Amino acid sequence: MMTIQIQKQLDGPEGPMRLDVNIQVAPGEFVTLYGSSGAGKTSTLKILSGLMQPEAGKITVGDKVWLDTSKHIHVKPQERNIGYVFQDYALFPNMSVKQNLEFALPRQGDPSIVKELIQVMELNNIQQKKPTTLSGGQQQRVALARTLVQQPKLLLLDEPLSALDLKTRLRLQDYLQKVHRKYLLTTILISHDIGEIHKLSDRVIVLEEGRVIRQGTPSQVFVNQDLSGKFKFQGAVLQIEKNEVVYIVTVLVQNQMVKVIAQESEIENLKVGDAVIVASKAFNPILYKIE
Amino acid sequence: MNSLEGTIVDVEVSGNLSLVCVEVHPKTIIKAIVVETPESASYLTKGEPIKTLFKETEVVIGVGEVSNISMQNRIAGTVKEVHKGTLLGKVVLDTPSGTITSVISSNAVEKLELEENTTAVALIKLNEVMLAKI
Repeated sequence: MMTIQIQKQLDGPEGPMRLDVNIQVAPGEFVTLYGSSGAGKTSTLKILSGLMQPEAGKITVGDKVWLDTSKHIHVKPQERNIGYVFQDYALFPNMSVKQNLEFALPRQGDPSIVKELIQVMELNNIQQKKPTTLSGGQQQRVALARTLVQQPKLLLLDEPLSALDLKTRLRLQDYLQKVHRKYLLTTILISHDIGEIHKLSDRVIVLEEGRVIRQGTPSQVFVNQDLSGKFKFQGAVLQIEKNEVVYIVTVLVQNQMVKVIAQESEIENLKVGDAVIVASKAFNPILYKIE
Repeated sequence: MNSLEGTIVDVEVSGNLSLVCVEVHPKTIIKAIVVETPESASYLTKGEPIKTLFKETEVVIGVGEVSNISMQNRIAGTVKEVHKGTLLGKVVLDTPSGTITSVISSNAVEKLELEENTTAVALIKLNEVMLAKI
C-alpha cells in the first residue's frame, strides 16, 4: 500500500491555495486524479515523484519511506523507481526510436526489455525512424515505451493523451491498459476525459482547491450529478452491449450516464468514444419532483 | 430508428404545437405532433420534403381487423423477417412506404403467430414521430 500525506502552499488560479491531501493507493491499482486546472493534481504527482518538495508530509510505499519531512527524509527521484509521462513527450530528436529506448536503459539493465517493449508497444515498423518523422500518437507510444524500459513499479501519467485526436487517444488508452496489466504497474493518471477515466480507472479521486472532495469508482463519482436543462444532449458512447434483439448503448452526457436502446443498423457505425446526440421527443420524458 | 421520407401535405397549428401530415406514399399519411410551429421551424411548410423518424420500440403490430383504437398512423405490410429473443422479438415489415421495424415482446410474436409473409399493420402514435429536415 502506498500512503501519501502532503501539505504545500501553492499559487492556484484564484490566488494562494493549500494543497492538503491524504491518499492511499493499493499495489496494481489504476487511479485517476480528476479536477479543474489548478486543483493540485500535477503538484501531487510532482511531490510523489520527488520533483517538488512539500512543506510537510509523509510518503510511504510498503515498508519504504520516500518522504518524511519530520525526519528530513527525502528519497531522490531516480531512487523511487517511478515512470513519469507528460503530455509533452520530449524524445531525443537525433536518435532513432530504438536508440531512444536503449538510452533509457539503466547501466545494469537487461537489454532484452527494449526488444520486448518494441513488440508490446508495436513499434517494429518505426523503430529505425527519428521522432520528428512520427505522428503525435506514435511519439507518445515511444515516450511510454521509453519510460517502461526502466521497469518502474509506479507509473505517473499527467494528461499524456490530451493533445491527441480521439481515435489515436482511444488506441493509446488500449496500450496503457495493456502495459498496466502486463507489468503489474500501479498507475496514477491525471485526466479530464470522462470516457477515458471510465475505461481505464479502478478509482477516481476528485480534487478541488487542493483537497480530495470525493472518491470512488468512475460510476459512483460521475453519476447522480446535477440535472441538465434541455432534452437533446450531446454525449459520448461509453459502451455498446447486445441484448437479445436490441443493443443497449451507454452514453455519457456531461457527467451523467444514460442508456439508450438501439438497433443493429444504428450501432453499425458506432464505436466507444464516438460523439452522439441523444434525442427524445418532449412527449416522452416524465418529470419527477425531487423533495 | 425507422425512417420514412415523404412530403408535408398539411400543417395544423395550435399554440406551440403543430400537427403535421406527411405523405410517405400515395395514400399513406403519417401524422406527427411536434412542439414547433412554422414560425419556429421554417421547414414546416406544405410541399417540403421531410423525414419521419420513429423508434422501433414504439411501433405496435396489429394483425387482422384493427378497429376501435386511437392510433391513426397505420401502415400495412408483409412480414419480411422475425427474430425472437427470450423476452423481446424484432419484426421487420415490408410496406409500400419502406421497411418498418418493430420491437415487441416475444410472447406477442407468438400470440400473433407472426412469421414470414404474414400480413400485418404497423401502428405508431403520432407523438412518437419525430421530423427531420432533409
